[in-house]
Formats: sequence, structure tokens, C-alpha cells
Amino acid sequence: MSEAVISVRDLRKRFLVNRSGANSLKTRLMWFKHRQIETLEVLNGLSFDIFKGECVSVIGKNGAGKSTLLALLAKVYKPTSGTISIRGRIAPLLELGAGFHPDLSGRENVFFNGIILGLTRKQIAERLDAIIDFSEVRQHIDAPVRTYSSGMLARLGFAVAVHVDADILLVDEVLSVGDLEFEEKCFGKINEFRHHGGTIFFVSHDLEAVRRVSDRCMWLRKGTIALSGNAAEVTEAYEKAAQAHQLGS
Amino acid sequence: MLADLKELWKYRELLVSMVERELRIRYKNSMLGFFWSLLNPLVTVLVMTLVFKNLLGNTMLNYSAYVLAAYLPFMFFQTSIMDSAQSILYALPLIRKIYFPREILPLASIIGNFIHLILALLVFFVYLAAVYAINPQISPFQLSALLMPLLILINLMLAAGIGLIVSALNTFYEDVKYITGVALYLMFFLCPIMYFSEAVMYSKQLEPRPTIYFIYHLNPVATLCTAYRKVLLAPQPVDIGGAEKVPSMPLDWTMLGIASFTSFGTLVFGYWLFNLLKWRFVERP
Repeated sequence: MSEAVISVRDLRKRFLVNRSGANSLKTRLMWFKHRQIETLEVLNGLSFDIFKGECVSVIGKNGAGKSTLLALLAKVYKPTSGTISIRGRIAPLLELGAGFHPDLSGRENVFFNGIILGLTRKQIAERLDAIIDFSEVRQHIDAPVRTYSSGMLARLGFAVAVHVDADILLVDEVLSVGDLEFEEKCFGKINEFRHHGGTIFFVSHDLEAVRRVSDRCMWLRKGTIALSGNAAEVTEAYEKAAQAHQLGS
Repeated sequence: MLADLKELWKYRELLVSMVERELRIRYKNSMLGFFWSLLNPLVTVLVMTLVFKNLLGNTMLNYSAYVLAAYLPFMFFQTSIMDSAQSILYALPLIRKIYFPREILPLASIIGNFIHLILALLVFFVYLAAVYAINPQISPFQLSALLMPLLILINLMLAAGIGLIVSALNTFYEDVKYITGVALYLMFFLCPIMYFSEAVMYSKQLEPRPTIYFIYHLNPVATLCTAYRKVLLAPQPVDIGGAEKVPSMPLDWTMLGIASFTSFGTLVFGYWLFNLLKWRFVERP
């Protein structure tokens, strides 16, 4: 068996949720009166391994902890307890170009995003043509991105992420933004990425896409893994459970 | 804290491009770019000079140069802190998605404004040289102007320290930004910008008041404003509004020492506090 590139052991994440709305010094000073801070257990002890070259997808209802898990892997949060060990460079796919500044041109944003994802200026310059070609926005690359459509933003964001040569790609529900043709291109690129030994961690509600790209699927329910295994089997079980729930309610 | 510094060094290229981005955005949407930002200090000093020379009867030579020498660094201090206060909240969508040392955000605001200060000072030097060309009696520079880098360094440390503190706290309580705004506005009057530090020492009675002078200059910004003037511009008797002028006081090294100590301490404390809180930015309740 090949080496695990992501090992997660007994991962827990707890959030403080403010029910009193506005966050100001005043509410802080009045805490002793109305203490409306609640804790929310989002992840309750996850343990799993992901091996080199695998494509693992995560499904589950809204609020099941999928995005939190992804953010923990991207080092955005610190775990409340448990460990995450990652071997290799990880690149989160910034959805809709979260790292894009509206007033800067597409080209400037590509450089900025590439540097955030760990490339040097020189490396980006070398890949600039490939990125622009892939994103299909060459005509508008020097226009400010506030003039871009959401599809163009998504394509540019995806193009940067797949060209950083990361070892692990974190994908959060982005493939559905482009048109069909671009979606095909993304699947093609993902296959190519995996062909070169890349690992993909994929969060989606699109069960069709899950079945298509992933070898393994994890079903997350209330912060724990409900079921994990072959993508076709897990998605089927998930669909059945959802239908049963709908009939029951 | 050393580990955090090492991590910051690893991401230095991101810091550079963040600064570049900040400057580009600032000057992108206006043709006059940099000169728009110069307009504010120039107009302010013009009005101040008019008021002080013509309405309040100040008779000093080249008064506006003395105001600018203190006002430009003060403006840097003010704008860099206000910009960094916002920096984390503006970038929240980004830092929810991806990891990088969060201190890069306020530091980029500080450094962006710092580059702006350097450019503004260069324009100021050109102005001083022009005044000298027209009226050679006003000497444009003194040898002590070589101490400028030291003052700028102290200034930068202080601004970075306070910027880190304010940006970290403002992420949790947005009131901090308003409180800081008011504090900086009041600071303008508590620093020798419109007036001279000699006025603090003597007031109108010509009785020296060393205790008040000392307490006043415990504020490192006040000390810096005075020091910028002393090292850059020729000493001349100061009009403090009374019948007689008072002689110019020399640069106070003790106060400057205290200011650099305070500034360094603020920077270390700010960095420590920021690192203590930075993991909680994305999950603020």
C-alpha cells in the first residue's frame, strides 16, 4: 500500500456561536447579563487516511461539517483536539476567486493568487500562458475582474489552482459553476492531475460528479463519518437515507 | 514567537506582492494617483500656514516647512494604523479559505503607507531645495538630517506595533476602529504639529515647565514630531504667542531614547498579541 498523504486522527472541532447578533464591546461588557455564546460541536472525532493518488469525496447534508473539515485541512482553523498530518503541498481551490481583488486585472490577480498558493513570481510567469489558455479568458485578461462573469472568475480560479503543481488539491463545490464544456475540461484536468500522482479531496453535493471522479467516498453526518467506502455504494446509501427522510417527514 | 517570525520570512514574497497590490489598488482608479494623496497634506499645511501667519500673527520664517516636517510622519502614523485596522476584516473571505501568516495583512498596510511616506518626504525635500533656491537665507538641510533613517525606523516600529494590536482587536470588536480614529484625531492636537514643543516648555509666562514637558514627550509620537523638525530644519527662535520669542531647544536624546524603547516594546507586544489571537480571527463568534 502506498503512503498516506493525509492522516487524520480523532479530529474534533468546536466553535463558539454568538446568538446575540451584533459583535461589539458593548455586548462583551454585557456578557455577564446575557451570556448568549453557545458551543457547537462541528466535528466529533474523525479518523481517516488518504493515500497518494486517491480521489476522495465527502458528501453530507448542509451543516454536517464538510466545509469545516476542508478548512481544517487547509490550515485555516486549528483543531480543537486531534491531529492532522499532511505530507506534501496542499492547494485549496479558491471558489469564485475568493482571493481576487475586483479592481485588479485578471493577470495581476493570477500572480497574486499563485503567490498565495506558494509559487514564486518566476514560476507563475512561466505558467501564465497555460493558465490563461486553460481559463479561456485571454481576451479579458487585462480588464479588471469586477467586469468578469461568475463563470469567468471560477474558470480563472480553477486554472490557477490546477497549475500550481500541488500534491493535494482541495476542491469545494466548484466544478458546477462553469458550463458543460468547461466542466468536461475540469474533469480532464483532474484526471491528468491524478495521473501524475496528485491526490484530490473533494466536497460536493453533486452525487453524479462524486461517482464520476472519486474512488472513495465519505458520508459525513453530524460531525462523524456515517459511512465510508466505494463511491457508488456510499452515494447510493446516502440517496436512500435522504429519500427515507423525505418520506418520513 | 521565533517560529512565527520564521514562518513570516518563508512567506516574504507574499508580503511583497501584498504591498504591491495595496499600492496598485490605491493608485489604479485615479489618473493623478500619487498626487491625490499628496494633496491632503499640502492643502492642510497651506490652510494652517494661512491661519497661523495671517490670523494668529506667527512671524517665523518658513513656518509651513516646520509643519510639514512633523505632519508628514504623523499622517503616515495615522493612515497606516487606520488601514491596518481594517485589513483583516477586508480579507476575511480570503483567510477563511487559505492559510498564510495573518500578520502579513496589517504589515502590508503599514509598509504600503510607509513607501508612501518616503515618496512624500522626497517631494518635501524638493520643496525645501526650491525654497532655498529662492531665498538662500533659509538653509534647506542640516547635517543632522542624516539621522532621519533612525527616526523613520522608530516611527515604523511604533506604527507596526500599534497596527498589529488594533487590527487584531478590531477583528473581534469593530468599535476598536472608531475608538482608534478618535484617539488619533486627538493625538494630532497633543503632538507638536501646529505648534512647537518649546511652547509646551514655556507657555506664555516664559517660566520653564520641565515636568509638563517630560510628561508630554512620554508620548513617542510627540517626541518623533519634535525630533523630525530638529534634525531636518535649522533652529530658529520660536514664536509661542507671547511678546517675546523663546530660543530653540536642542534635540533631546533622552526623550528619543525613551521613545525608541517604547516603540520597540510596542512592536514586540503587538506581535505577541497578534499571534495569540490570530487563529481565532476566522472563528470569531
